[in-house]
Amino acid sequence: MSTINVEKLTKDYGHGRGVFYVSFGVEKGETLGFLGPNGAGKSTTMRHLMGFSSPQSGKAEINGLDSTAKHHEILKSVGYLPGEVALPDGLTGRQFIKMMRDMRRSEKNDRTDELLERFRLDPDCGVKRMSIGEKRKLAVVTAFMSDPDILLLDEPTSGLDPVMQEEFISFIREEKQRGKTILLSSHIFSEVEALCDRIAIIKEGRLISTVAAADVKHGLKNRFTIEFETQSDYERFIGSGLCPEQGDKSVKKCIISVPDKDTNRFLAALSVCRLKSLTEHSVTLEEYFMHFYRNEKRFKVGGVQYA
Amino acid sequence: MFSLPLFKQSVRSNAVIWGSITGVMSLLCVQFAALEMTQSLLFVIFYGMMTTILPAIYVLVTANKLIAGQVDRGSMAYVLSTPIKRSAVTFTQIVFMTLSLILMFAVQTLMHLAVNAAKPITLATAMGDPKLPVQGDLTAEMILKVNLSALLVCIALGAVCLMFSGIFNSSKYSIGMSGVFTGVSVLSNMLAMFGRLGVSGLDKFKYLTICTFYDHQSVLSGNNDWAVKMIFPALIAVAAYMICGIVFKKKDLPL
Repeated sequence: MSTINVEKLTKDYGHGRGVFYVSFGVEKGETLGFLGPNGAGKSTTMRHLMGFSSPQSGKAEINGLDSTAKHHEILKSVGYLPGEVALPDGLTGRQFIKMMRDMRRSEKNDRTDELLERFRLDPDCGVKRMSIGEKRKLAVVTAFMSDPDILLLDEPTSGLDPVMQEEFISFIREEKQRGKTILLSSHIFSEVEALCDRIAIIKEGRLISTVAAADVKHGLKNRFTIEFETQSDYERFIGSGLCPEQGDKSVKKCIISVPDKDTNRFLAALSVCRLKSLTEHSVTLEEYFMHFYRNEKRFKVGGVQYA
Repeated sequence: MFSLPLFKQSVRSNAVIWGSITGVMSLLCVQFAALEMTQSLLFVIFYGMMTTILPAIYVLVTANKLIAGQVDRGSMAYVLSTPIKRSAVTFTQIVFMTLSLILMFAVQTLMHLAVNAAKPITLATAMGDPKLPVQGDLTAEMILKVNLSALLVCIALGAVCLMFSGIFNSSKYSIGMSGVFTGVSVLSNMLAMFGRLGVSGLDKFKYLTICTFYDHQSVLSGNNDWAVKMIFPALIAVAAYMICGIVFKKKDLPL
């Protein structure tokens, strides 16, 4: 049984918005990245897991308990970081922290001071005066202070400065090592790449695929433009069995994509040729997904196709 | 069922408006009861209008802030991300709304009792005309009864506003509906009072407002109508609180 389990979750808000037949699971100790463009349904799915909305059909469960009916049970072991920062009126940061701690009635060790120190937050000014980044830090502190086992993070680093984003990512990595189960929604690739074991991709309310992050990285190809000295060098290279995507004998140039597994073959073929130049265009996870964002129909797990 | 931390937050975020409305109401009461030239207007203007208008402003603003305002702004997400039942949220806010009104009337009643003990007025003056052939003074018991009657009507007003706050997800609808309800109630009450004072035709407005159940005249004239009429606002309050709790528990929240 998965710790977080979403099965055929459907909620239609009309005008094509909502989520449709979304199914995925997050195992204990695993980090699942939830990736997709704005309005794809990431937050809607989170809302259902938090029990804010009830599904039209399908179900959302945490620890085997229904998210709508049993949210007050579930939330004892869940830390939630909302996508929007809207803190209650008329409190200082410290009062807000105290209120949340009292409401959680947490029995676990309190980590407030450690977290305040780590994210360099001064909680003694009014919430209204705080910048977006400070409010976000405050939300981070309250989500983690009772040391919950399950974390639902909805675009956690938006609003944080680059230094704090780094700090946050390394913090989540430590939490991961401590065995936390994490669902992280984001459209920041570096965040997903750095943290997630698996990546679920959602678009227009439908889950398109769930892939292991390692497979994605492994499936990435490097792309080279090679210019040979002579036409016979060009022919020797072509004859080696690697298939360039484009090539022109008359200008002695070709463009080739090399998957990681073919690296040695590629180098061996090159070693017997004399080159004028070799230019690498590496493909990042970002490009991999950007491509998919634009053109999901050509998407294939573990490979990149170029339009 | 009851959440003390949430209650404390409600107290903090509504303390200013509660304090100012309670202050204004108490001051007006002391002024009307203490100054000779206004004593005959105590039951016309102060108990006739102010004890409904001022609390109506308070419940209108506060009820919205207690639920719909927090859903609209999104800060309810933090409250509901803790292991708290939604029914505990509404119950706590209902308790806050009711207790704050009770305390508001308690403060103003104590002020009036103090002034009345120091400077008692005759029952005839309280009824609006010192020359009326009635015996005796305005008693502490009457003051208590009048305020109790007003309190219950204000609790009903607050309950209906809180009901709208629990039903709607956006402040504009919650405030809009509550505003129409309290506005109509308070204004009709004033028009009905003019009707009672002799403007013909306006007395029909008493059928448009739950403030009609607040009957200070019956207290002054010594009959028990005021007590019987208290059943209706009590029923309205219970029904509105229940609807608030049920709807808020069931609905989807845009958080």
